[in-house]
Amino acid sequence: MRNMVSDAPRTTLTAFYWAFILYLLLPLTLMMAMSFKDANFVAFPIGDWTLDWYAKVMQDKQFLEACLYSIMIAAGSTLAATTLGTWIAMLIVADGIRGRTIIFALACLPAVVPGMISAISLRIFISTIDMPTGTMAIILGHTVHAVPFVVVMALTRLRSMPGNLVDAARDLGADGIVAFFRVTLPYLGPALFGGMIFCVLLSIDDFVRTFFLGGYRPTLPMLIFAKVQGGMSPEINAMATIVLVVTAAVGLYAEFITRRARTR
Amino acid sequence: MEPVVQFENINKSYGKHVAVDNLNLSIEAGKFVTLLGPSGCGKSTSLRMLGGFETPTSGRIMLSGKDVTRVPPNKRNVNIVFQDYALFPHMSVAKNIAFGLELKGFDNQRIHRRVSELLELVQLQDYANRLPAELSGGQRQRVALMRALAPDPDVLLLDEPLSALDAKLRQQMQIELKAIQEKTGKTFMFVTHDQEEALTMSDTIVVMNKGRIEQMGDPNTLYGRPGSVFVANFIGETNLLRSTVISSKGDVAALNWNGITITANPGGLDPRHGEHLYVVLRPEAIHCSAAEPVLGNRIKGKIRQRVFKGNHTSLMVEVAGGAMLNTLVHPSDVAQLSSEDIWLGWKPETTTVIPDRHAQN
Repeated sequence: MRNMVSDAPRTTLTAFYWAFILYLLLPLTLMMAMSFKDANFVAFPIGDWTLDWYAKVMQDKQFLEACLYSIMIAAGSTLAATTLGTWIAMLIVADGIRGRTIIFALACLPAVVPGMISAISLRIFISTIDMPTGTMAIILGHTVHAVPFVVVMALTRLRSMPGNLVDAARDLGADGIVAFFRVTLPYLGPALFGGMIFCVLLSIDDFVRTFFLGGYRPTLPMLIFAKVQGGMSPEINAMATIVLVVTAAVGLYAEFITRRARTR
Repeated sequence: MEPVVQFENINKSYGKHVAVDNLNLSIEAGKFVTLLGPSGCGKSTSLRMLGGFETPTSGRIMLSGKDVTRVPPNKRNVNIVFQDYALFPHMSVAKNIAFGLELKGFDNQRIHRRVSELLELVQLQDYANRLPAELSGGQRQRVALMRALAPDPDVLLLDEPLSALDAKLRQQMQIELKAIQEKTGKTFMFVTHDQEEALTMSDTIVVMNKGRIEQMGDPNTLYGRPGSVFVANFIGETNLLRSTVISSKGDVAALNWNGITITANPGGLDPRHGEHLYVVLRPEAIHCSAAEPVLGNRIKGKIRQRVFKGNHTSLMVEVAGGAMLNTLVHPSDVAQLSSEDIWLGWKPETTTVIPDRHAQN
């Protein structure tokens, strides 16, 4: 009796956990299952199975172009955000910097400002400075959004760095720049790698900012959105499944790499 | 010969706190010099100023005849072995050691030769490709030492490098460090708060206290003839007998300690009657016996505590007036001291006298 009472919270928690997992996985599984359905509409029962939808997606020029465009934007914004984020993190831990709390707070702001607000304000900003909508504007938007994540990850790693490492490099003849590239940057490596993957995933996933800042070339989320407007089809399911599998694999791989580097 | 390092009137303060107070110190080439003192005595700050990581508030630092006071660390020919080694975690042992050589612009062949030569010196040839995380504490210590020695610095600075090791390994490393210093003929400037380390390795010990040099000399002199109460207390164990001068003539002074009359060599102090002196009496200078000694100072006492220390036994003996004397007895002599009542005796020449005016702190 006593056992049952003390086990109750635990059992409840376990039940909620599995309910959560089910809620998370069921729609995804459903989507994946539908992408193999040999029919033109999304509904049960599935009946015949096929890979045709995947073949169709892989030959879909629009899809391939959107993929390429999304990757290009992700690469650009990741590069910019990583550089900027590392720089800000270095600034925050540097000796004799005043107002580091404010610098940190400002750097983190884009992570908490609602995407919609951020998108609208950026749109107003670029039209004020006469910058056309399109690739550069999207990269700018994605960079601003990604910087806080790089800053936080780089800072965490920097704070665990023995203070003597840079001193030792300086002592052995390295100037500030050499010490940064040969000691600090390699030390930050795993954290930056994780941060970069995160930037890529954020950028690929982003819809709101891209929608407000984009031109006529659709990115992946915009293309899928446009297609969904014309009604659900197994092709969209196949497309989404591909995106899901690739991003999940990249994310998990990054987690694995950073974890391994951290335990070393 | 011109000294390798000269601190000239060096002051360093942080706001109101004075870390180093008018330091004047010359270090001769090829010597093992130790800065010894409690934490906060300014020893590490002095080392960091020589390394280039701190700038003196005033004064001048000369290195091999050149003024380096404001030269950045990467432009001066000294290298530091850091307390926590500060090995680059992402580089192999060989890469760590090669770091300074690469920055000096040596060609690959020369770097390779120098690295193997140094690894051989500490018998780590088989570990060249390991990462620092894969080494033991002692091995890391050796790699840090070799990395700092590699670029052939004018002076090697060692900032309490043994403090992270366990006692046994630390003793072993002391001997190894000294051997390496002798083999390479490098000038070593070692910083520690451990008097035993200082005594074991140094040619010269500089005892620092409150940012100033308290006394400087070879280990024998510092142990045998401490110039101040601070040094006497800091180096080794000691009994300090605060005494009053009864009479003094040449090498012999009669003193009153707690109502007991003892004699000591005033060492040219020429004290006057009634003046206060400290007599430094090392535990091992006291001879404990059951019978009354014939010569020298002798006092009756009662054994209050016996502490067995393996190679000797430490006796706390209470003498007249309630004062306690710490003595050290050889194992073969303990047996005959079965009774509580014993005699303590020492030769006056085994003690040193410190004037009371130097006794502050």
